This record gives sequence, structure tokens and C-alpha cells, in this order.
Amino acid sequence: MSKAGKGGSDKLQQKSPAEFFAENKNIAGFDNPGKCLYTTVRELVENALDSAESISVLPLVEITIEEVSRARLNTLRGLGDHARVDEQLYHDYESEDARKKRLAKEAKEKQRLEKLAASKGEAAAAAAAADAARKAADGKKAGPARGTLFYKVTVKDNGCGMSHADIPNMLGRVLSGTKYGVKQTRGKFGLGAKMALIWSKMTTGLPFSISSALRKQDFRSQYELDIDIHKNAPNVHSAAKLPNADGWHGACLSLTIEGNWSSYRAKLLKYLRQIAVITPYAQFSFQYIAEDPKSSLKLTFRRRTDVMPPPPKITKHHPSSVDLELVKRLITETKATSLSAFLTREFDQVSKALSGRLIGELRSGGVNASTDPKQLSSQQVVRLHQLLHEVRFADPSGSHLSPAGEYNLRLGVMKELQPELIATHAGDVRVFEGHAFIVEAAVSLGGRELRPGINVYRFANRIPLLFEGGSDVITRTATKRINWGSYKINQSSDRVGVFVSIVSTKIPFKGAGKEYIGDDVEEMVSAVKAAIQQCCAQLRVKIAKALALREQQQRRRNLTKYIPDAAGAIFTVLAAMAGSDPRGPKRRRLQDSSNLLQQVARKEVVQAMLEKKLAEHVERIDTDMALEFQVAQGLAGGAAKQQLWLAPLCDKTHYGAELHANACVVRLLH
Amino acid sequence: MSKAGTSKRAGEDINKQQKKIKNIDEVLKLVKKLAEQGRKNTTAERSLAELDLAHSVREVVDKDADAVLDEIETTMLEVAQSILAGNGYSFDIPSRAKGNQLYVPELDRIVLKDTVSKRPFASSQACRKTAITTRILGLVHELCNKQINVTKRDLFYTDVKLFEDQRESDAVLDDLSCMLGCTRSSLHVVASEKGVVVGRLTFTEDGDHIDCRRMGVGGKAIPPNISKVSNIASDALFILLVEKDAAFMRLAEDRFYNDYPSIIITAKGQPDVATRLFLRKLKLSLKIPVLALVDSDPYGLKILSVYMKGSMNMSYDSSNLTTPDIKWLGVRPSDLDRFNIPAQCRLAMTDEDLKTGRKLLEEDFIKANPAWVAELELMLKKKEKAEIQALSSFGFQYLSQVYLPLKLQEGDWI
Repeated sequence: MSKAGKGGSDKLQQKSPAEFFAENKNIAGFDNPGKCLYTTVRELVENALDSAESISVLPLVEITIEEVSRARLNTLRGLGDHARVDEQLYHDYESEDARKKRLAKEAKEKQRLEKLAASKGEAAAAAAAADAARKAADGKKAGPARGTLFYKVTVKDNGCGMSHADIPNMLGRVLSGTKYGVKQTRGKFGLGAKMALIWSKMTTGLPFSISSALRKQDFRSQYELDIDIHKNAPNVHSAAKLPNADGWHGACLSLTIEGNWSSYRAKLLKYLRQIAVITPYAQFSFQYIAEDPKSSLKLTFRRRTDVMPPPPKITKHHPSSVDLELVKRLITETKATSLSAFLTREFDQVSKALSGRLIGELRSGGVNASTDPKQLSSQQVVRLHQLLHEVRFADPSGSHLSPAGEYNLRLGVMKELQPELIATHAGDVRVFEGHAFIVEAAVSLGGRELRPGINVYRFANRIPLLFEGGSDVITRTATKRINWGSYKINQSSDRVGVFVSIVSTKIPFKGAGKEYIGDDVEEMVSAVKAAIQQCCAQLRVKIAKALALREQQQRRRNLTKYIPDAAGAIFTVLAAMAGSDPRGPKRRRLQDSSNLLQQVARKEVVQAMLEKKLAEHVERIDTDMALEFQVAQGLAGGAAKQQLWLAPLCDKTHYGAELHANACVVRLLH
Repeated sequence: MSKAGTSKRAGEDINKQQKKIKNIDEVLKLVKKLAEQGRKNTTAERSLAELDLAHSVREVVDKDADAVLDEIETTMLEVAQSILAGNGYSFDIPSRAKGNQLYVPELDRIVLKDTVSKRPFASSQACRKTAITTRILGLVHELCNKQINVTKRDLFYTDVKLFEDQRESDAVLDDLSCMLGCTRSSLHVVASEKGVVVGRLTFTEDGDHIDCRRMGVGGKAIPPNISKVSNIASDALFILLVEKDAAFMRLAEDRFYNDYPSIIITAKGQPDVATRLFLRKLKLSLKIPVLALVDSDPYGLKILSVYMKGSMNMSYDSSNLTTPDIKWLGVRPSDLDRFNIPAQCRLAMTDEDLKTGRKLLEEDFIKANPAWVAELELMLKKKEKAEIQALSSFGFQYLSQVYLPLKLQEGDWI
């Protein structure tokens, strides 16, 4: 920005939206190179999903991240290799002190090796030396690789594509085409990929390339463009129409950015896995191409279902949710010419009759049903806004929302985590501040890749939330408000997966990056809690069954375990009794009717005999119970039912001779 | 209000009150009267059999070793016969659960109803417990045979591998008392000693003569085996039941019982079986009133309730363990203002305290005494509690030299 002249330092400046976001990129998740790479991929993937779902096509998303070395980037940028003139000018120049330090360290290491050689012999020293050498090499190699690098990110989808003429404006202008009305959307700021484009412009300066085709379009649009951040306008480098022989439709975006793969690798893969969980009807293929082919990576998250949730519909604003500014905007944008038509047309849950009653309330302010909304005075608008908040309206129906669906959630969890047990639940439509929301939950037990304890997976409007989980409503509810013990789940040792997906026209995000959902919305807390509890209640039945089965298998062992203890104790008492006279009437009476004690005294009854008899009894009980269990299981599982055929004995059927086998007799039907 | 002002006013109060303490005979006049009343009022204790209860109830009695042996041997003989007949075996254990407990207002105690649960050996749920029960039955048989007493801990250590946790062997021991119909001490198993007694009391313990006036400041440990205590003699006018060790020590060191003929007992918190048995025995043989000095909080009242009503856990044995007629001497919620206990010695009650307090208000033994209800309501209203030690803010010996004499002189017990 140009420095203002003398005395004019407080010159009024205006910022374009693109400039604002370029300066505050952290709010859109562009904090550091690593996270920028992550967010870029995320935004592009979510755009791709939206695009495919909007035309009800099962999404197929191909993601490619390609490492670009500085040298290659320079050739791409058209920069020649630069030979350093003044070595001391640079970061990586080894100063005199640093060199002394390094030499001292190397000398020390050498001394240590010599000592080692003296004490343990040559072989050990050689091994240690090799070890040290490898470490040093590692350090050198890790040096540049660990730092930030440049990456070419390409995401290709099979969505609706963009029309040739719209492409520059759709991608080259921040905050363009804001949607009218309210809708459940995947993105968090409506910035989509544009933030990524700004980031690419800020770091590499390379334009991005788009190729796109609408359905049934016989050509592909091919663009090279970037954003003029200052003007918030597209800057087209080249545009062309290429032949589209194979009838592809969709979009393919490719941009080169600065990033950090090594530090965000885990997060990126986690994101891909989770988005695969919540969208099992999409296929994701991911490829990472490194300069060194050994660290390249290829992953495919397969599609497991063809059932796709219906795309979210745009709905009208609920009167309880609007603010004053929104009312004013609706008034300027409406095509309605009367207040009555304005209320019914622009707001959800306002019927003709209700609008009449509302206008009745406003009559004292000097308006009636036929007043043109555009003629309302600002006081009247304020009164209208107040009224909308005071009146009780019916809750939004929620039919415009597009939850993932219990089936899809279950399938997603099962295919990605392969748990031992799973239960899912979809809650009813609930409402907070005039916005409908639906909570769906899945709770899984066991399975790979879960740590012992509660593992929380959060989804908002069908995108995974990976950061700042600690204060999230879902995390807090799952860890603090659920009494896992009462569902026979051990909170610290069982591998529990808690998956909660919340969809709404407005998710109450918290934090600068909109990374978590606030824990202070009571309606949401109770909905999340109820959904998880429902899942747990379902699981409890299954767990109880599994426990019963285990008990079944271990019963005999448990029962026989205590036989020696019990028999020993009984026999000790009997032996003591045999050697003493009765102390009271009860024993005397009992003793008269049996000669057990005499038998003990004569050693006819010994401890081993008691043990044997007890063991026999236990065995019998065990068999009985096993049979009982099998019958109960069989009846529940339907295994005890057998199909039965009645053989007709009329003269229309003829049977052959009896064939005798070991187990049965068969007569064949002729 | 400045701190200095408060303490000065409190000081005046003490002085005023100190003047009021008359000579010892005067002080004890009301106590004597109470003792006489108590002696007159000893109506014959009614037993469960005399009441015509809708439920059949179970109670346990003290039995001698031979009677217990007879019960055990009969049980074992039946068990052995059942095993040899090939039927395995099982015990019939009376349920000690809350649902099986019944409060008998006529006797003012809790008894067990007649629900019995089977404990068969050949059941995966009960197998381990049955084995433990059998083992302990065998051990108790040995104890009764040899006429020796062991502690619960001793018993646990005879077969740690089987019992695993002392709580398990303890619980089974209670089950056995119910099953055999005798008190726990008849099983020759005692709890380790916890209670202490000091004061004008002499008795014989297992042949040794004990004089509780010559027990130093620590006092005499209450013997866990009450059956070995005999020849109880005392010239005390009352028994002072103290909740805490600290207050007990103060009174013992000040030789409170020399000036005011009394017996001082503490169980250091929640009373154990031995202390309750001992108190009951003293009360029955000496027929002198029992005055209680507990903290002014719900927990203090809870402790009183255990002395008077018995604990839920040992309800089957309540007739042998409880001392129903205990007077609440202090520290009562109304004392806090009457004795001007400074604010820094009073504590705010926690939510938990308030909850316990409200629950106590529902209890029959509180409701039976309107004066207690009034005190408890006052406590809950002011939401303040104080320990006996709060009295030390007026000087360490305030408790023994001013507070207690004054209370006794005024006959301020409820």
C-alpha cells in the first residue's frame, strides 16, 4: 500500500473482501502452511461433494497432492537457478561458531567410539559408527523435508461442472453468489475454494487451472486464472474450449501452494477417513506423489452404498431467527407488493391467516395488509422485527435438512472401522433459535484403530470436525454426561467409538476457526445426549448377550474352580464332628437318622468323595443350563425352527422302494 | 463489625456465664433427677414376639458356643448329605437388603423381614459366594470348638486367596449371623477395637480388674469381646458420649469425671459394634442417662442415629446393639448463637450436608422428638455447622470447665 504524503497518514482506505480474507486468513483455517494444505484439500473435496450431490450423482472424488521442489517451482515460475554470490547472507550459512561447535561434537563422538572399541571390540564399534552415520544422514535428509514445501493439489469430481462464462466470476471473486434463503451447507464460511486460491496466490504466485464441463456438453472449458486481490476480481490468463470426447462432466481444479505434508499428513488422512465414514456413497481416491517415490502414497476409500441422502433444500427464513438487518434486506429484495404477501412469501411457517393476525398487531403503527413493504418506515420495520421475535411460531419442519441417515452412518462406520458392535440412532427434528437441527449418532465397540476409551468423531453438516475437540458439545457430552457404566461399557478400557453428526441450517460454531460446536446450547446438549443414550441402550442388549455367551463358555470352569475349597471346608467340619459328641438337640436328632458321621469316622466317606459328587452335580447343572441357553438362543435366532414338508399320500404321487441309510429311511418320489 | 469487637463481646459472655456456674452438687441436681426418672421409667422391654406384626420377622440372639456349634454342625451335616445324594447343596441366606428391612415403631428399631435368598453352589452367580460361605462356616466351627476369638481381619487372612477382599468375608460373616440366628460376637469374630472409655467405671475383663479412673489420658480401649466383660460397677451419674477423639482427650486430661461423676465414651467417629455393645451393656446394667456431645452438623446426628437406631447394614442385630434413650446435650445448632460462637469457627454447610440434613428430617427417630426437629430445622435454615472444637475459641478448657457444667446445670438436653 502506498505511503500517504506528509500529514495525510490517516487517509481513508478501503479493503476488498479478498484483501480482508487475505489478511485474516486464520479465521478460514489458513493458520500455517501445514494447516493450509489441509484446509485446501478439505475445501476442494467438500466443493466436489456438493457439486456431485446437487445433481444426484454418486460422487467420485480424486485427490492428488504432488510435491514440488523449489527448483521445479522456479522453473515453473520461469526463474533460473540462482548461484549465491555472498554465502554469508543466507540463513543456512554455517558461521564460525557453529562450525567450531560441530567439530567439537564430532570429536567427542569419535572419542566415544574409540572407547567403545577398546572395551567391546571392533564389531560393536563398527555398528555404533554405522548407527551414528545413519543418524547424521537422517538429520541432513530430514532437514529440508521437514520444512515447508510446495505442493500441487488437484481435485477432480464428477459433479455438475460450471458453465464456461461463469467460471471466472465463480472462482475469481470472493463472496460472490451468496445464496439467497437458508440452507444446510457443508462449508463454514461460504468461501469454498476461494481462500485456497488466495493462499496459492500469496505463496507461489502461480495461477490455478480449471477444467470443467457441464452435463451433455461437448466441450471442456479450460482456464488459467488468478484473483486480483486488491480489486477482488478474476484475472484470466488463458481460456479455451477443448473437445470432450468421453462425455465427462464435473470440475477439475489444480493449484500450487506452500504447505507442510509431513506435519499434517496424519490429520489429512484422518479427515479423509472420516469423510468416508459420513459419506459412504462417495468414492475417494487419494494419491500423494513425493519427489522420493518411496514416500508416495495411494489410498482408495471405496463406495459401499448407492443410497444417497436427498440434497438439502433451500428454505425460507424462520421468523424467530431473523435479525433486523435481515428483515431490511428481505424487504429490499422481495418481489411482493403487499405486506401480507411479503410475510407469507418470505418467511417459513407464516400462513395467510397468521399474516393477517400479525398485520393486525401492527395496525396501530399505521400499516395494513396491502401496504407495500418497501414503503415501511424504519420505525415500522423495527416494530415488525420486534413482533417477529415476540410471536410464537410453529417450529420449522426440518424437511429441508439432509441428514446423513442412520443407514449411511452405520455403513460408513462399519466399512472404515469394522467394529465388533454398533448401534445407531437418528433423533427427531429439534429447534434452537428458529433453526431446525437433527442429531444422528452411532456408538461402536471394538474394532481396529480405536484407542481404549472414548473416541469421539464429530460431524457438522456432514463434514468432520478435527480440531479443538475439547470444548465441543459432542466431546463433552460423550465424556462427561453419559454414564457408560450403566450400559455395561467400561469408559477407560473398552474401545468405544462415538460418532455424532449434527445437521442444521445454522450450526452454533465456536472458536476463531469454527472448529467446534458450543457447549452452551441447551437444546443441542440434550439432543446429543439423547441420541448417544439411545445408541447405548441398544448396545446394552447386545453386550448383555455377549456377556451371557461368555459366561456360558466359562461356566463350567468357574463352577469347578471352587469345588476343592467347599469340599475341604465341609469335610474338615465333618471330621471334627466325628470326633466329638453332639452339643445340641438339633444335631442329635439329625445324627440319629443317618450314619454319615460313622462313615466319616470309618473313613468310608472322604473328602475326595465329596469333591467327586459335587463335580458330578456341577456337570449335570452345566449341561442343563447349556441346553437351556441353546434353546433360548435358538428360539430367539430362529435356528430351532425347521421347515417341514408334508408328503401327499394321494394316488397322484408314487414313491419308490425304501432306501435304508444309517440315519434315516428315504423313499424317492417318482 | 471488627474482629476485636466480636471477641470482646464473646469474652463478656463467657464471664457472665462463668458466674452462673454454681457448685457441683447444684450443677448435678437436674442430672440426678433425670437418672431417677430413667430408673423409674424402665418398663419391661417389649420383645418382637409380644407384638403382633403383620410380617414374620427375624432377629438374632446371643448364643453360647455350644448352641452355635449345634447350628453349624446341623447345617454342615445337611449339606454333606445333600452332596452325597448327588444334589449339590445350597444355603438359605436371609436377605439384608433395604427392601427386607422393617422399622418397628413400637420397639423403635429396624428388623429384618423374612425374605430368604437361596445360595446354590452350582450357579455361576452364587458359586464363589457359596464357597466363601462354606469356608467361613468351617472357620467359625473351629473357633467355637477352640473357644477363641479372632478379629475380622484375622479371619480374612486365613484364606486370602479365596476371599480376595476383606469386604467379602465381612459381608458373608453378617450373612452367617442371620442364617444361624445369632449375633456376630457369638460367632467368636470381633471387630478390632476402636472405642475408648474413661471415668468412674470398674469392671472385670477376662478375669482382670479394670479401673477406668486409672487409665491415663488415653483411656481404656473398649474390649471387642463384650462377653468377657463382667462385674460392671460405677458411681457415675451419667454417661457422656463424645463424637470425637479430640474432645474426649480434653475431658480425660481435665479429669472431668472426677468433678462430675461420669463415664466418658467415644468411638472416634462412626461407632463400631463393640462400642455400641459396650454402651448398651453399661446403660442396661447401670441404668444411668446417656448424654451425647456431637458436632453440630448432619453427620453428628447420623452418628447419634447409629447409636440409637443401629446401622442399615447390621439391622438384623439392632436389638442387641442399640441404646434408644440418648439425650442430645450438644453441640446443638441453637448453642451457636446462645454461646456466641464466633463466625470464624462456624462453617457454611455444603450442598451434600444440606441434602443429608433434609434426609434426616424424614427419619422416624428425628420426627419422634419435636425438639430435635426444631434444632435440625434451625441448622438447615442458618446453613451453618460447627464442630465441638469451635468451643475452643474461648479457651482450650472452655468445654470441660464452662460449657458442659453450664449445660448440665440448666438441664439443657433434649
